[in-house]
Amino acid sequence: MKTDVAVIGGGPAGLAAAMEAKKHAKVTLIERNEELGGILQQCIHHGFGNFIFGEALTGPEYAEHFIEALEGVDVLLNTTVLEIDKNKRMLLSGPDGVFEMEAKAIILAMGCRERTRTQIFIPGTRPAGVYTAGTAQRLINIEGVMPGKHIVILGSGDVGLIMARRLTLEGAKVEGVYEIMPKPGGLTRNIVQCLHDFDIPLHLSHTVVEIVGKKRLEGVFVAKVDKNFKPIEETKRFVPCDTLILAVGLIPENELTKKTGIELDSVTAGPVVDEGMETSMEGIFACGNVVHVHDLVDDVSLSAIIAGREAAKHANGEKTERRKIKVKAGENVRYVVPQIINGRDMEEITFYFRVKNEMRNVVTRLIVDGEVRKEKRELIVKPPEMVRLKVKGELVKNANSISIEVKKVA
Amino acid sequence: MRVEKKVEKYAKRRGWKVKARTEDGILYLEGEVPSYKEYVEIGRYAGKQKNVEGVVNRLKYKGKKEEKRKEGRNEIIGEADVVIIGGGVTGCMIARELSKYKLDIILVEKAEDVACGATKANNAMVHTGIGEKMGTLKQKLCVEGHKMYEELSKQLDFPYEKNGMWIILTKDSFADMPIPSFLGNFIARFIIPRIILRRAKKLGIPMYIVKRKELLKEEPNVTSRALVAVYSPTYGVTSPYLFTIALAENAIDNGVKIMLETEVVDMITEGGEVKEVVTDKGRIKARYVINAAGIYADKVAEMAEAREYTIHPKKGSTLIFDKDYGNYIKHSMTILKFPRTEHYKGGGAMLTLERNIQLGPTLMEVEDREDTSVKAAEIEQIFSHFSLLLPDLPRKGVIAYFAGLRAATFTEDFIIRRAKKVRNFIHVAGIQSPGLAAAPAVAKMVVGLLKESGLEMVEKEDFNPYRKANVVIRELSIEERKKMVEKDARYGKIVCRCEGVTEGEIVDAIHGKIGATNIDAIKRRTRAGMGRCQGSFCLPHVAKIISRETGIPLEKIKKNGNGSNLFVGKAKCLLEEKNEN
Ligand SMILES: Cc1cc2nc3c(=O)[nH]c(=O)nc-3n(C[C@H](O)[C@H](O)[C@H](O)COP(=O)(O)OP(=O)(O)OC[C@H]3O[C@@H](n4cnc5c(N)ncnc54)[C@H](O)[C@@H]3O)c2cc1C
Ligand SMILES: Cc1cc2nc3c(=O)[nH]c(=O)nc-3n(C[C@H](O)[C@H](O)[C@H](O)COP(=O)(O)OP(=O)(O)OC[C@H]3O[C@@H](n4cnc5c(N)ncnc54)[C@H](O)[C@@H]3O)c2cc1C
Repeated sequence: MKTDVAVIGGGPAGLAAAMEAKKHAKVTLIERNEELGGILQQCIHHGFGNFIFGEALTGPEYAEHFIEALEGVDVLLNTTVLEIDKNKRMLLSGPDGVFEMEAKAIILAMGCRERTRTQIFIPGTRPAGVYTAGTAQRLINIEGVMPGKHIVILGSGDVGLIMARRLTLEGAKVEGVYEIMPKPGGLTRNIVQCLHDFDIPLHLSHTVVEIVGKKRLEGVFVAKVDKNFKPIEETKRFVPCDTLILAVGLIPENELTKKTGIELDSVTAGPVVDEGMETSMEGIFACGNVVHVHDLVDDVSLSAIIAGREAAKHANGEKTERRKIKVKAGENVRYVVPQIINGRDMEEITFYFRVKNEMRNVVTRLIVDGEVRKEKRELIVKPPEMVRLKVKGELVKNANSISIEVKKVA
Repeated sequence: MRVEKKVEKYAKRRGWKVKARTEDGILYLEGEVPSYKEYVEIGRYAGKQKNVEGVVNRLKYKGKKEEKRKEGRNEIIGEADVVIIGGGVTGCMIARELSKYKLDIILVEKAEDVACGATKANNAMVHTGIGEKMGTLKQKLCVEGHKMYEELSKQLDFPYEKNGMWIILTKDSFADMPIPSFLGNFIARFIIPRIILRRAKKLGIPMYIVKRKELLKEEPNVTSRALVAVYSPTYGVTSPYLFTIALAENAIDNGVKIMLETEVVDMITEGGEVKEVVTDKGRIKARYVINAAGIYADKVAEMAEAREYTIHPKKGSTLIFDKDYGNYIKHSMTILKFPRTEHYKGGGAMLTLERNIQLGPTLMEVEDREDTSVKAAEIEQIFSHFSLLLPDLPRKGVIAYFAGLRAATFTEDFIIRRAKKVRNFIHVAGIQSPGLAAAPAVAKMVVGLLKESGLEMVEKEDFNPYRKANVVIRELSIEERKKMVEKDARYGKIVCRCEGVTEGEIVDAIHGKIGATNIDAIKRRTRAGMGRCQGSFCLPHVAKIISRETGIPLEKIKKNGNGSNLFVGKAKCLLEEKNEN
């Protein structure tokens, strides 16, 4: 099989990328699940698309907007991409068989997976009743089963908060949300709407230190942590519960990327991309959570549109510059995407970045060849919230050094 | 001094009231000690004495739990020449070996599947026997068992590889001994390897010495403090559950009846013989009984009035690393460190068949025979101990950890013999490491014991030694995969993304000879859920497939045995409950 642009993954990233690419090229969209929409299908709460559509849609509604626009795209469901080689030949496995597909350009949009209890080293037994938040969400919203009755949630990011509300609305008792950091991870609006409105206690600077239960979870030990996040033994106490929900972070799903030999960024755990979302391997692009974990689906869609457009250009044989200028993460910046500027012709470029420390009254700055070329005031920046800086493409097109920094306003 | 006196004196000096008594070579301890710790301490002391064939430790201590036996059921549910108690690797291997003869055999296992005890929670090493104490029964059976694996794996189509093992000595090997470091290093470099080689030669195990430089070239991630290694090329690795399932399936093919979820709760004995085995499902008439009950072997022996040992569980916890680190080391390895500490017997970095590094195991006395929790301190211990071997192996590589319980007796060696006073009861107890490696030889030995005790054993003409494993799609060539998908589209649909397991393989496992109807049983058979996401992604899918294939409603699917329900009901069930109240 041959195609111009192959999109791997049918979540919001893959959908938007396919929708854009199909305007200029033949597109095949490959999704391993039985439905399109990725994680959105199970997010039945409102809160998607404020930015792009100007209204708060549910996940499935948001996805529907894109799925409807897919006409002309070849969609392969229940089909997994097993391998990609340097010549952009892929090996696929699905109900139609195991077969090769050759593409002129590939877009990686595999999303991310959730961190498990092991990755944060929670000791104890291995009973039934320990779920990652996404799994629990899928169980309730899609499979129609209830994971438990008495719930402890670890992690106060938006995912954990939304699950606290969802489980409460389903009749479960959420005993508490525990967060190892001294500040909540999620948006303030979610703290109010998901916890306060339901009287769910939030325990900051706390973590789960042991899982107890032989067959089904019987409870967890929780403890307060010190400045270095070490549990304080004297504060250890037992919280009976039958379910532990882990909302402790997402990791970009880059098994395929790694196997293909594409360069990864050790901070984002995603591929290094340029302003056109092209990876270190020519003709292979990436977008969405596979690149770095996003808070808002709108950003996923926007970056995916760029990937779709640039991938189609590549498939059509357009040549691009490859200046390979690194974007440095300057003061109080943990990482920046894109990591590389190649000097493509682009009207606008948005730098997405996360800060190391919370700061109020700051300016975020783009520095090109030692000069501040763009500044933006922010009232507050926090590590859990992605920051954007939109600049004109011409500002960086011919740059020799680029960095992004966050500075306190004097 | 007589053994009893020695033990009593040992206790007295510590202020404990202990009475010791010997009968038929078995040492019985009665009295009281302060806590479980001392209970173990004195048991171990007693077990080390000469000519003690078993220690029955009946000492009381504070907080000792009185156990209640489950009720048995009265109806007769079977009759057999041989009843085997326990469906671990030991019991299943014995069942398969005995199925070569014209015998009616029933194997009873209390869990919902075979291989649910220590057999599912070990390091999968088919040891050569070099690590065992010279002259012990376990060493003898390990050496013999190891040699039988190759043939067995061909007959029964389970995975087995000789991946080899480094025994590594480093500058830390003697660092905790009260000797100068130059001397320690000298002993480590020149004396120990030669002792190992001499033993290997005696046992017929091929081994050779590898110099530091060569070792570090072959294994660059090993500590630069390494001095020398002894390499054992024939060291093997298998999948303990796939092996055990293969044994059980082949035994079934040859007429053995396996009763799962059937717990032995008592035995009816008469005139020094077991007449019936009482289970929670009913009674089984038995001519011979084999006790392969692992961690509960002493309890089972007691039911037959043949208690000749006490088991004190020793927990071992192991960390498993992502396949990404599969080439971090080329072969499994262990570090020799003296003196042997409380927390380690050996262990190291051992590669599974799928090239996941296993780091561990720890060694910890636990009172609770179901305590398979991994403690925070153990995780730290493992990292700190094995950083002496692989100093840079990163923590973030860990994808899972688990603990297993070693069924240790106080005399430490395997106890495989006829009961002293019960004519038709055979002990296969104290089967701790290397119980997996030794299993084939253990089974042969049991055949001998049965013959000795008068069971007539006639070989079947139609014994079928072969058994075919289910297809493993990820191991096929692309052409073979294509053919499989043409046959059944479900072999194309990947369900477990981390391990590449297809829907077809899961369906095969569900409809196998011992059908897998829970998440963990599927996991052991197919690896679905064993990868880096630990089932976050595939669990709902696997549960749905089980439900569809078996008719069990989705909300009733379990993780493993009774009480491990994954869900509390259908969505909205709690709201309905509330409305009713
Ligand atoms: C619980 C939760 C709540 C959220 N709430 C909000 C919110 O309120 N508002 C908001 O804006 N955002 C929210 N988000 C974030 C947003 O939904 C995600 O950032 C977004 O879905 C990521 O899109 P994606 O396409 O990159 O990944 P995904 O949606 O994960 O899609 C990736 C797709 O790729 C497929 N795939 C992966 N590998 C392969 C392969 N090898 N072959 C074939 N297919 C493959 C997967 O099956 C999947 O369908 C939430 C996220 C979660 C988890
Ligand atoms: C951490 C660890 C690492 C190890 N590593 C290795 C290794 O690398 N190589 C090696 O050779 N060995 C190893 N071992 C040892 C090996 O795992 C055991 O020796 C072996 O699995 C013992 O098998 P078994 O069948 O005797 O016991 P089990 O597998 O425990 O089986 C006993 C069975 O009896 C059943 N049972 C108990 N009571 C009753 C009852 N009343 N009624 C019905 N059924 C009952 C139980 O449910 C259980 O299934 C290791 C052990 C541990 C703990």
